[in-house]
Amino acid sequence: MLKGFATLVFKELKELIRDPKIFLGMIIVPLVLFPVLGLVMSFSMQTAQETAARTTVLVLNHDSGESSIAFIAYLNRSLRIVEVDVSTVDEAVPLLSQNNATEIIEIPEDFSQNVTAKLSVQVKFFSVFSGTGIFESVGSSVVDDIVQQFNREVSPDIVVSKKSVIIKGQIAEGVDAQALSSFLLSQAIAMPITMMILLTYSMQIAATSVAMEKEEKTMETLLTLPIDRFAILMGKLSGSVIVAGVGALMYLVGFNYYMSSFTSTISTNASLDLTSLGLVPSILGYLLLGVSLFVTLLSALALAVIVSAFAEDVRGAQSIVGNISPIIFIPALLLMYLDVNALPLAVKLVIYAIPFSHPIIASKAIIIGDYWTAAFGIIYVSAFTIAIMYFASRLFATEKILTARLKFRGLRRRGKTPNEQ
Amino acid sequence: MDFAWARHNLFRVYVMSYGAGVKLSLAIEMTDVVKIFGNIRALDGLSFSVKPREIFGLIGPNGAGKTTALRIVSTLLLPTSGSVKVFSVDVVREAAEVRKIITYLPEEAGAYRNLSGFEYLEFMAKFNSKNRDEVREMVKEATEICGLGERLKDKAKTYSKGMKRRLLVARALMNKPKLAILDEPTSGLDILHAYHVREIIKRYVKEHDVTVLLSSHNMLEVEHLCDKVTLLNKGKIVTEGNPQELKEKFGSANLEEVFAKVVGFA
Repeated sequence: MLKGFATLVFKELKELIRDPKIFLGMIIVPLVLFPVLGLVMSFSMQTAQETAARTTVLVLNHDSGESSIAFIAYLNRSLRIVEVDVSTVDEAVPLLSQNNATEIIEIPEDFSQNVTAKLSVQVKFFSVFSGTGIFESVGSSVVDDIVQQFNREVSPDIVVSKKSVIIKGQIAEGVDAQALSSFLLSQAIAMPITMMILLTYSMQIAATSVAMEKEEKTMETLLTLPIDRFAILMGKLSGSVIVAGVGALMYLVGFNYYMSSFTSTISTNASLDLTSLGLVPSILGYLLLGVSLFVTLLSALALAVIVSAFAEDVRGAQSIVGNISPIIFIPALLLMYLDVNALPLAVKLVIYAIPFSHPIIASKAIIIGDYWTAAFGIIYVSAFTIAIMYFASRLFATEKILTARLKFRGLRRRGKTPNEQ
Repeated sequence: MDFAWARHNLFRVYVMSYGAGVKLSLAIEMTDVVKIFGNIRALDGLSFSVKPREIFGLIGPNGAGKTTALRIVSTLLLPTSGSVKVFSVDVVREAAEVRKIITYLPEEAGAYRNLSGFEYLEFMAKFNSKNRDEVREMVKEATEICGLGERLKDKAKTYSKGMKRRLLVARALMNKPKLAILDEPTSGLDILHAYHVREIIKRYVKEHDVTVLLSSHNMLEVEHLCDKVTLLNKGKIVTEGNPQELKEKFGSANLEEVFAKVVGFA
């Protein structure tokens, strides 16, 4: 055994565990963060599945034979079936929202005839696609399962499903909702990851730059110059916004390349053209997303500036900002897989209250043309940002920007020997 | 020589007019200032005044309240009570006006690590000048003061402590402020660097009508530099006066002894 090794290890452990930053960041946060995240996820998935199980299906039956009636009865055991009396699927589409339904099944007129003759029959399935999360296709997969069970009981491959999706009230023939969902998953993941990296990175930049000014005492010099203190704050924020913006751009370019390196192989199979399906955001959508991103970034930076003003040095500032990261990560991870509307009310409110969730919510909303959700997010985050900026400017206007550290010094000094004074 | 003579005469006129009761504006007038941080009384009824073109030293041990006093004069901290005026301008009510006529050099301050010395000086000069020519003039002035030569082109993070201090002292003097507030201008410097910095300060006061308020815990250096000193301990003045007078008054060889005697160590 190396001489003194055990003593060193023991000292190291004591030193590290007693550091409140390490204790909090390495032990308490993971112990709380991940179980909470897991609970929320499993609860949300359960909710999503329960919702899917209660899927309402509109059935358009062109056949009058017994087999189709038996098939509908079979479906009715697990799903809520509403038979509609219209002649085409196009006419059935407007009835979806009236019945709160997400699927249309069209049974052809030769259904009973073929089933009786043990011949395959093609049944058309239309799923509503709203682009909100990967569990959205749960509804259509539940219907799939039931059809397969039916096949097992009656005759293998007797019912062949032909799938299509309904996007924004338009039928896109031959597009599988599940394939579309998994294709859009790359986008659904890209946005939250971008937000996580962009926000934590830029907050670190802002916090480091404020703490560096404090550590090197250049802040004190700046505060005695004949310039508006609000200008100092704005200068700091703008500098960080520009650097973070360039960083985000570089990141997006890199990430896009990374994603396209394997989505290109998927897309050849699925042959999905998002533009023709109307799943590419409009210019207004992009504009709203851009504004949403910008105000969120600003709020994060202002928050970083405030908290780092209370830190003594760069390391302290970085660890304080690091403690904020769970409120960025939790909504990002949740929204990566789930639709915000599928979440339980309490969780939903928390997610809406966190400003960093809004660009992610907006990115999903604009795809389906829901501009109000994006606009509401922008208004909320702007109000939050203004409040934070006001607080930051108050902090810069007074001596508090310096006294947080002074206080610590004073206390430390007091803690030392009395005769030192 | 002519200049020195003129200055001498001016000073005489000033002293005479002051003696005759014509009140000229004091550079600093601090009256009964108290500063409390939580439970700590950092300054406890501090009063002193500094005349224009004086090098005034606040001296005392660590924790005496020197930095707090300097920070109040430089508008960084607000006094809990009492008043401070810089050339008759109140540091609390008219802080923005005060900032136009002062420069402040914090203790152990650094420059922006990734800016070169030149860039730093230029950045700082822009806040105190009206046009590009003035900026150029100030940077030229600072280049001469700091004597760093070609090294000014290097990033500040490559500078030694002494070089950094020379750069910052030059920054604090380059715009010829009415009042330069220098917190421990030579602390941590070796003899040569400290000597250089002291010479800069002396020369500048002589040539450009700058008033200097500085702090130091090095009482020996203050003896050679300051026209007047105030000895601080635990936020209070223990004695003040011209270094020579103080030594004579307390029968001490140097200010260190004076201080020890006043606080009862010797």
